[in-house]
This record gives sequence, C-alpha cells and structure tokens, in this order.
Amino acid sequence: MDKLARLNSEDRDNLTAYLDGELDENVTRRIESILTSSSAARNDVELLARTYDLLDLLPRPVGSQDFAEKTVATARLESVRKPALEGAWLKRVQQAIPLLMWSFAFLLAACCGYLVTNQWVPRQDDLLLKDLPLIQNLDLYHEVGSVQFLEELAAQRQLLEDIQGTGSP
Amino acid sequence: MSTTTVGPSPFLRDPDVQLMLRVREGDESAFTQLVLKYQDRLIGIFTNMFADSALAEDLTQEVFLRIYRVRLGYQPTAKFSTWMFQIASNLASNSRRAKGRKKEVQFSSSMSGSQSVHVGEALVPDKSALMPTRQFDSEELRAFVVQALETLSERQRMAILLHKFEGLSYAEIGSIMETTPQAIKSMLSRAREHLRVALEKYIG
Repeated sequence: MDKLARLNSEDRDNLTAYLDGELDENVTRRIESILTSSSAARNDVELLARTYDLLDLLPRPVGSQDFAEKTVATARLESVRKPALEGAWLKRVQQAIPLLMWSFAFLLAACCGYLVTNQWVPRQDDLLLKDLPLIQNLDLYHEVGSVQFLEELAAQRQLLEDIQGTGSP
Repeated sequence: MSTTTVGPSPFLRDPDVQLMLRVREGDESAFTQLVLKYQDRLIGIFTNMFADSALAEDLTQEVFLRIYRVRLGYQPTAKFSTWMFQIASNLASNSRRAKGRKKEVQFSSSMSGSQSVHVGEALVPDKSALMPTRQFDSEELRAFVVQALETLSERQRMAILLHKFEGLSYAEIGSIMETTPQAIKSMLSRAREHLRVALEKYIG
C-alpha cells in the first residue's frame, strides 16, 4: 500500500487511461514501470478492469418496433405545421400583441381618469354657475350690507308699506 | 466578384454525414436510415442515464426531431455521430435539470407491462450467465451495477456510457461533452474509481 500511496493524482488518472489505451508512449512506459514495481498498483488496475467489465451487464434496451416510423412521421408533421405557424404576418401580429395590449390598457386608464375627473372633481366654471344669481345681484347685496339689517327692515311693516306706496306709480 | 474557395469538409467521408446531406436535400428515406441506425444506441444511453425507458424513448425521439429541424442549414463540421451525441448530451443535461430524476428501475427480465422497451430481449447474456444459478447471480449483479452507476454524477455517467457503449476516445467524448480530453480522462478516472469502490465486493 506504501507504493500505491506514492502515486499522485495524475498517475492514478493514468492507470485508467492506460487501460483505455489513451496514453502516449512515454507515459505508457512510465505506468508500466510503476506496475512492474508495485503490486498494489497492479491490484488496483486489475480491479479497475474487472469493474469496467461489469458494465457489460448494463441493460441495452431496444426501441419499440414502430419507433422509427413514429419519429419520422412526427418530424414530417412538424415541418408541415411549422410554415403556417411561422407565417410572416402571424409573426408580426404576435409581436404587435403586447404593444396593442399596452395601448389598450393606457387608453382604458385615460378614459377612467377622464370620467373620474369629469364626475367628481368640480370645475371652476361649475362653481361660478352655481353662484350666478348671487353674482348677478352682488352690487345690490353690497348696498344692503348685512342680512340682519334686512331682517329688522322686514319686521317694520308700516315702514315697508310706506316705501311701497311711495314707489308705486 | 471575389470568391473564397473552401476546401471540402474532412467529414464528407463519413457515410452518416452523406446520409444527413441527403436529408438536407429532402430525402426522407435517408432520415429514416439514420433513425434506424442510431435509435437503439441512444435509447441505451438514455435508459442508463435516467433508469426510465419511457423517458429514454422520448429523449431519443427529441434528438432526431432536433436533427430534422435544422436539416436545411446542416453543415458537416464533425462526424455525424459526434454531432448527434452532442445533441443527446445537451438534452440529457437539460432534461435532468428540468425533470429531476425518476428512480424507475425497470431492468427485470420478467418486466413487460405497457413499456415499449423490450429490455429482456435485448440483453446479451455472457457465457457465465447461461447456467441457471449464475443467471440469478447475474440478475442481482446487474442491479448492483445499475445502482452503482446511479451514484455517479450525470456528466460522469454520460462519459462512462459513451466510452463503454460507443467505444469513443477521450478526444471524441471531450468534443461531445464540450470539454478537453484531459478533463474526460480525470472524469473517467474518478468515475471508475467510484465504481470500483462500489462494486469491489461483487468482484469474485
């Protein structure tokens, strides 16, 4: 085991490569020299070889009888379908769909925003229209001064009748 | 108008490259020939990669479909088998990542079921398996070997299967798995050392 322990990782890799006939002449001679002098290395190589032979037991299943037929038919079908699916016009449509969707979403948001602002957010003009009667008589209200004065005047019935009598033609 | 003269591809001597060039020209019988030639080899590799015969057939079919899809632009830049196994290796990596592993061991000679893969018929028993008692041992041993293979990493398993089943060189395997021959040498060394440790007790 001492001799085997002296093998570096490259030499260990070379043992397998030696079995596979993948070494050049120089390295092959070196490995053979190691094998000659080390019984542990010889044992290791033998075990590697026998383990590798066990892989012959791995299953080698065959395909179903109609495998080739099915595969060729599937390939043929794909090649027929593909031109239709990849028509230039359809590709352009497919590329345009996200853009169209975003545009629609933007338009929808704009409409909703317009409706919301139109219904619930009061405009300056609407406020002015609501107060139009007040605005039209603003000069008169300035003359009057206060509502309290109007109420006291309304309580003076005799005074009102005199004013109305003077004012009538 | 200047033209660049390109020499003929060195891979034109490969008969399978010639078949693929015929596929490129629209010859479907050439494609069928390629499928028939390689289907079992691919199914064998995928079955031992994933221990799932149904998945193995699906992946094998997908390899051929991918080859067919790119037929019009095919250029022989490698041996056909190298290119095909490269597709298979990439597909195996993607499949493993996408689906995970299914431990569906179906390697009993008595198994038939609905699977279309005829495992029992394909096995070539070695000489020692012809004796009834040894045949039983051989079955058990095969199960241990399958289990030992499953303990390897996916790349190690692919390298082992390409080397063992296809007899490919380190350089060819490196080309297929898109790495260097030196890396394949290390990978195979570690994998076989791993297998040795796992199967040592079963070696007589």
